[in-house]
Amino acid sequence: MSKQFFIVVILWIVLTAAGEALVIALTPFLLPSRAALEGQIVDDAFRTLMMLAVPVLAFVVAMLIYSVLRFRRRGEPTQDGPAMRSHGPFIAGWMLVSTALTIVMIVHPGITGMNALRAQAGKDVDLVVQVEGSRWNWKITYPQHKVISRTELVLPVDGHIRFEVSSTDVLHAFWIPSFRMKIDAVPGMMTTIYATPSKTGSFSSDHKIRLQCAEACGILHDKMMVPVRVLEQKEFETWLSQQVKVD
Amino acid sequence: MAALTGIIKGLIFALIGFIFGGGIGFLLINAAGRSGTNEPVIALGYLFALIGWLFGAGLWDAWGREWVGLPARKLEVNGWKRYFRFCTNHKVIGVQYLVTFVFLFLFAGLLAMLMRTELIAPGQTIMGPNTYNTTMSLHGIIMIAVAVATIMGAFANFFLPILIGAEDVAFPRVNALSFWLLPPVVILLLLTPLFGGFDTGWTAYPPLSVINATGSLFFLMAFITFGISSILGGLNFITTVITQRASGMTWGRLPIFAWGIFTASMISLTATSFVAVGLIQVVLDRVAGTSFFNASQGGNPLLYEHIFWFYSHPAVYIMILPGFGIILEVITHFSRKPLFAYKWVVGSFFFIVFLGFIVWAHHLNTSGMSDYLYIPFMVTTELISIPTGVVFLSALGTMWLGRLWLRPPMLFALGYLFNFLIGGVTGIFNADVPTDIHLHDTYFIVAHFHYTMMGGVIFALMAGIYYWFPKLTGRMYNETLAKVHFWWMFIMFNVTFIPMFWLGINGMNRRVFDYPEALGGVNMFVSIAAFLLGASFLVFLTNMVYSWLRGPVAEANPWRARTLEWQISSPPPEENFPEPPQVVGDPYGYGIPGSVHAVLNPAGSALNTGGG
Ligand code: HEM
Ligand SMILES: [Cu+2]
Ligand SMILES: [Cu+2]
Repeated sequence: MSKQFFIVVILWIVLTAAGEALVIALTPFLLPSRAALEGQIVDDAFRTLMMLAVPVLAFVVAMLIYSVLRFRRRGEPTQDGPAMRSHGPFIAGWMLVSTALTIVMIVHPGITGMNALRAQAGKDVDLVVQVEGSRWNWKITYPQHKVISRTELVLPVDGHIRFEVSSTDVLHAFWIPSFRMKIDAVPGMMTTIYATPSKTGSFSSDHKIRLQCAEACGILHDKMMVPVRVLEQKEFETWLSQQVKVD
Repeated sequence: MAALTGIIKGLIFALIGFIFGGGIGFLLINAAGRSGTNEPVIALGYLFALIGWLFGAGLWDAWGREWVGLPARKLEVNGWKRYFRFCTNHKVIGVQYLVTFVFLFLFAGLLAMLMRTELIAPGQTIMGPNTYNTTMSLHGIIMIAVAVATIMGAFANFFLPILIGAEDVAFPRVNALSFWLLPPVVILLLLTPLFGGFDTGWTAYPPLSVINATGSLFFLMAFITFGISSILGGLNFITTVITQRASGMTWGRLPIFAWGIFTASMISLTATSFVAVGLIQVVLDRVAGTSFFNASQGGNPLLYEHIFWFYSHPAVYIMILPGFGIILEVITHFSRKPLFAYKWVVGSFFFIVFLGFIVWAHHLNTSGMSDYLYIPFMVTTELISIPTGVVFLSALGTMWLGRLWLRPPMLFALGYLFNFLIGGVTGIFNADVPTDIHLHDTYFIVAHFHYTMMGGVIFALMAGIYYWFPKLTGRMYNETLAKVHFWWMFIMFNVTFIPMFWLGINGMNRRVFDYPEALGGVNMFVSIAAFLLGASFLVFLTNMVYSWLRGPVAEANPWRARTLEWQISSPPPEENFPEPPQVVGDPYGYGIPGSVHAVLNPAGSALNTGGG
């Protein structure tokens, strides 16, 4: 290894260490409050990808910084650089590392994350909630309890919930930011998504606990939102019992 | 006036065409007993107006007359007037594209300033939601057009033939046709606000794009017309590279920019027809009442998403590959070293074209498509990091031990590498299905694609402009202003778009006119940064306009670069090369004593093009 490349390697190690420290320190600020078990899988994947990205970023940045500082000429260069068109070990190393990294990313957090989400979705469902979008509001039905709500989405904490999402007019999307879960509402078909609220809370204290339309649907797209309230199981049952039953 | 005769004739023919086509539409509506819509009138009117426009603007005189056995009329005029005429010279068309698209870019940039003004604080600030949606959608589609067509239309037209030692492109008249298809695109887009605007964004997803205001029909027709232009351009460049290379210009000696254009053209030629079909189906749903995407009559909105992205993902490589070409070109010449790993790069370009076609469903990660599709598309998408990495390998390897000359083109190339790195790395978060379930359709995506399109394509475009300006105009720009532009744009670009990643993760979805109060502070920061970013283009514009008119006369080869365009005068002579050049070596033979790329007058004395 040439001395110059050795310096880049040192620079790379320093930048990587600093970067990883930054990721660990900043993740709590970067990733917003989380209110569902599924969100954990998403956040873990997010953190893993950041940790994997840091050395890649650091290497390119180290090479760039070193090359610019070391090889720049003030004024017009009077000579050419060496006629180096290729460098076997460097190219081989690069191809190997980039391929290996890609495979790692695909397997973890990609496929492992997908499997974790599927395993989580496959658990027994405690509650079914039908969510129907129309411009520009959401109709929320609890078919097991014959309850309909149009002004808020109320959920029990720790219950495993299947959301059955549909649309009566154009595309919409069901998104609860603090659950990290999203699925489109497509006219003519039903889509499903699962979530297990992991703590109580409500929109009034955190805007991310909201059911937001996330697919452009016209003038009031941004306003197509209902607050979410996650209650203790008992409180949830009380809430259900206070609602008007429909058939 | 003589300059404008073609345009005026085109407009008159367009009007006649519109009345004719619109009349047919009107008769059809009545014959079919349909009521409550005038869109068939508009659609058929436009179809014939487009044909009228093209024929009037020059297609008939330059070409059509031959179809009926008449001699074609020569439309060539001299001097500045030719830039307003149906002119088949590739250099004129290159300049027509460049000027048109730089103006469109600045216009769409102004729209972005309006959007950021609206978003500076929660609630309504300066416009209503419908105006916002139209502004956002117009900004999007114009910028997409800028990213797809500026480098191809301007630099591939002007420089590709010269780089390969040719006199012109393979089909000069087709080339002019692809440019003259663009004014109707611009006019249609500018008309959209008068017809209720359109609120779908540039993706035009049905059913919304079927049921919204008539402005949407104008947008759809504009997009289709643009697609035709893009297909013709792709066809032309592929043929040009295959058939017009000078003697000795083997495939292995092709400059890397030519490879970028060649591979990107393969995509425009083959993929664009898919989006055109999807859009035509939407138009038919609107105009003829078919139900391709109408679920209540058996149509399927999800189908559109597949068709649309089957084009639009490859389309991002129509934007990116020519940019890669420019960047690598600039980096070799300004490092004074041969392009590192040339063959690997060319191979990667082809691999990107191939992979680009099998990743489209990563845009459908929350669409409700079959569950087993997610992993295969995640795999193909993440594989693209490998060939993309090769471009970085080549750039870094080329600079290593080089003699770096940090002139404005090189600064933009270096800025590109940094921005595109961020764009590429954040792309992984979108390719990874678990994270994309959260990030899809949020400001995270907005930040990501601005990093690739603005931080990438536009930086490459700027590198190209500052690299080729002396050759294009025969004048040199102001170096200090150019450097000020670079640092200002580079810093403010990053300051503007980095916080958007955070906004997306923290619950701001995209295409919104308003957002939760809690996100107000960061949005205000982003808006102010965006205004400062926008202001950097005033420096650019001043420099360009002033230097084009008054700048010092440029040398033939201010960079001492080895490729062919720098071996002829600035600006190049009408026929490019007085006689066909003879290519005898590699374009990047820096550091090899006595290495020669081409001999310009093979018959005469050995006036050759060494390392300078
Ligand atoms: C001053 C610089 C710019 C600013 C401040 C800016 C800002 C924005 C904003 C706020 C949006 C709306 C995002 C959303 O809600 O989805 C947007 C969308 C978009 N921008 Fe930019 N932009 C800038 C430059 C560019 C450039 C240079 C390009 C491409 C070459 C570009 C391409 C797009 C596209 C394709 C969209 C998507 C529109 C859609 O959703 O259909 N922008 N931009
Ligand atoms: Cu909606
Ligand atoms: Cu894509």
